[in-house]
Formats: sequence, structure tokens, C-alpha cells
Amino acid sequence: MAYSSERSQENRRGFLDPRTKLALVLLLALFVMGGLGGEALRPAKTAMSFLPFALLLIERRWKSFARGVIMLATGYGLLFIMPRLPGVLNYFALFCGGILTRFAVTVVMGEYLIATTTVSEFISAMEKIRMPQAVTIPMSVMFRLFPTIASEWKSIRRAMRMRGIHLGGARASQVLEYQLVPMMSSTVRIGEELSASALTRGLGAPVRRTNICRIGFRAQDFILLAGCLFVILLWILESIGVKLW
Amino acid sequence: MKTDNKLKGRDLINVGIYAAIYFVILFAVAMLGMIPIFLPLLSVLVPILGGVPFMLFLTKVKKPGMIFIFAMIMGIMMLLTGMGPWPLLTCAVAGLLAERCFRSGEYRSSRSAVLSYGLFSMWVFGNYLPLFTDYEGYFAQRADYGQAYIDAVQRLMPLWMAPVLLLACFVCGMIGGTIGRKLLGKHFEKAGLA
Repeated sequence: MAYSSERSQENRRGFLDPRTKLALVLLLALFVMGGLGGEALRPAKTAMSFLPFALLLIERRWKSFARGVIMLATGYGLLFIMPRLPGVLNYFALFCGGILTRFAVTVVMGEYLIATTTVSEFISAMEKIRMPQAVTIPMSVMFRLFPTIASEWKSIRRAMRMRGIHLGGARASQVLEYQLVPMMSSTVRIGEELSASALTRGLGAPVRRTNICRIGFRAQDFILLAGCLFVILLWILESIGVKLW
Repeated sequence: MKTDNKLKGRDLINVGIYAAIYFVILFAVAMLGMIPIFLPLLSVLVPILGGVPFMLFLTKVKKPGMIFIFAMIMGIMMLLTGMGPWPLLTCAVAGLLAERCFRSGEYRSSRSAVLSYGLFSMWVFGNYLPLFTDYEGYFAQRADYGQAYIDAVQRLMPLWMAPVLLLACFVCGMIGGTIGRKLLGKHFEKAGLA
């Protein structure tokens, strides 16, 4: 079998360019979660909210898609039954519903970005928009470490729980010291190994790195980026006082 | 130190490692801020809990620029998590101040390390800024959280809280820094990590 790394890269290539994904995350964070633009942009925001779900379907990430849908459904469900609940529960349901519906979309988009972008794709995309290394290297290290930290923390919590060190346990006051410290030291150790391996592969070297992964804008990127520009344009028009509809 | 002052790959990777730890802690704590009473308390909790990773980070800082980059990364992460552009500004200011402070201690002095973390912690205030600069608009946007939430937050966050919160960030940063220093001596130096 003729092995061609070029072709294998082409096969693994995602549906979107990392730059497009980043633009979408930023826009969703600012408009949908940050609430920029207010009520006037509501239709555009609703349209944008469907996007991450569609993208997950295109990339065949069924599990993430299901999780996102469940989050949204729970949120709207809570908002729906809210008026029928008594007293404190009413407030609680409204509040949880408000948070879930607000955050679900951006969480799903973030998950999409992280799940479908490899570190090399991210770095080569950042090099193309001339982002300085001072930003790209720490950022890519961070995104590489988040899942590691999460799993480390989970195991440490489990181990400490056995000794009664958890919130509500017999030694709850020691939670901070006995959970954070091991989490940090193991992360730092993992990070040091990561750093050694990244340096051997020439990250941060003074020369320009080459990269095997294929990125570039295709039709779908142009369509989505045009959509982004359109939303920004609407927002500018709206904030200088033009009545949109 | 008269060695090369340019930031190398290893320094930037170190920034990333500690920024990741700091952000995870920050994020876990910030989730509490959804409960109204914890919203002002975030300016106490974040600086105190973040003290440990930041103090550990400062032991790796030997060149100018690393603290500033750390702060800017936090600003970018806040932008990506929907806190708006204000934290970018406070991060730049707090990062520069912290940088200068730690540099004046020649990247060694533990007293300037604690003070530097106090200054750095003031960036947290940027997350409150949208609330104070546009009091009405902020609550209009959060209408879907329910009137009870809005009432509670308005009671907890009158306008005069702004300077109090900024001060709280600074003071609690110093406390967090001191705790961080203590834990550093107790755990990390023994393990050869600091």
C-alpha cells in the first residue's frame, strides 16, 4: 500500500478552516452570550445559534450533538414549566433555564472547535493571520492541557474522596490544599514533558516552521465568513441608529 | 541577570501551562458567580484561589514580558467566554503594573512577587465593568434570568461597590499571594517544582 501523508492529511481535513471556526466562536461569544446588539439582532442571533449544531452534524459528532440538544432542551423545558412551579422552585427553574439557554450554544461551538481542530492546524492557521508566537504558543498549550487537567482533577478528587477530603466530608477544610496542589503538580509535570516534546519538534525555534496539515478557505468558509460580516454590519447599522425592521 | 532577555519557546510554553491551570480554577470558581450572592464575592475568591498557580508561575518568570502575556491571554480567554472586551483593557493595565513590580524585585524578591500578584488580580475587576458602565443595559440583557435574580444583583451591586470591588481584588490578591507562597514552600519546593 502506498502511504501518502499528503493524502492522509487531505482525508483528515476538517469541514471548516480553523480561522473560520475562530471567527464563529468569537462572534457567538460576543453576540449570543455577551448579549451585544440587544433585541434588534434577535433574528440574526437565532440563526447563529443553529450553526454549531449543524456543524456538529456535518462532522458526524453525534455524541456532542446529542449533549448540546439535551442541554438546550432542558433549558427551554425549565423555562416552559417555570410559571407552573411554586415559590422558590419557580425562581430556580427560571434561573437555570436562563443560564442553560444562554450558554448551551457557545459551549457547543467551543466543543466543536476543540474537537475538530488539531494543534498543528491551529498553529498554522494562526501563522497565516500573522498572530505573534507570544499568543499562539501559550494558547495552543492551554487548549492541549485543558482535557488533561480535567481528567487529572477527576482522578485526584476520587482519590481524596476515599480519605474523606471532599466538600461535605469530614475533612472539607483541607479540600483546597489536598486537591489543588496535586492537580497543579501533576499538570506542571505533564506540561514539562509536553514542553520538551514540543521543543524537539521546533516549536518556538527562530526559523519559520513548515507544516504538513492542509488548511485554506473553501466555499463553505467564504459563505460563513460572509455571514459573520453581515451580522457585524447589521450591528454597526443598528448602533448608529438605523431602524432595521 | 545579564543573559538573553528575549522570550524563547520554553518561556511561552510555561506561560501556557500556568495560564491553563489558572484558567481552570478561575472557571470553576466563576461558575459560582451565577448565584447572586457570589457575584461580588468572586473578587475575593478568584484572587485567593488563583494565588497558588500564579506564585508557582512567578518562580518560572525570569524575563520581562511573561506576566504581561499571561494577563493578555486571560483577557483573550474572557473575550472567548463571552465577558466582552472590557477585561482585555484591565488585563493590559494590570499586567503591565504587575510586570513592572516584579521586575523591580529582580524577578526574585518574594515581597514584590506578592505585591505583583495583588496588582495582577485587579484585572478581575474588568469582568464587573460592563455592569457599572452601563447599569441599565446590563440588567436589560439579563432579563431572561428572571426578576428575582436582577433584584438580588441590584441590591448587592450598587454603584459605590465599584471601588470596593477593585480594592477587594487587590487586597485579596495579596492574601492569595501570601497563601500561595506558603504552599509553595510547603509542597512544591520539596517536590522540586518551584
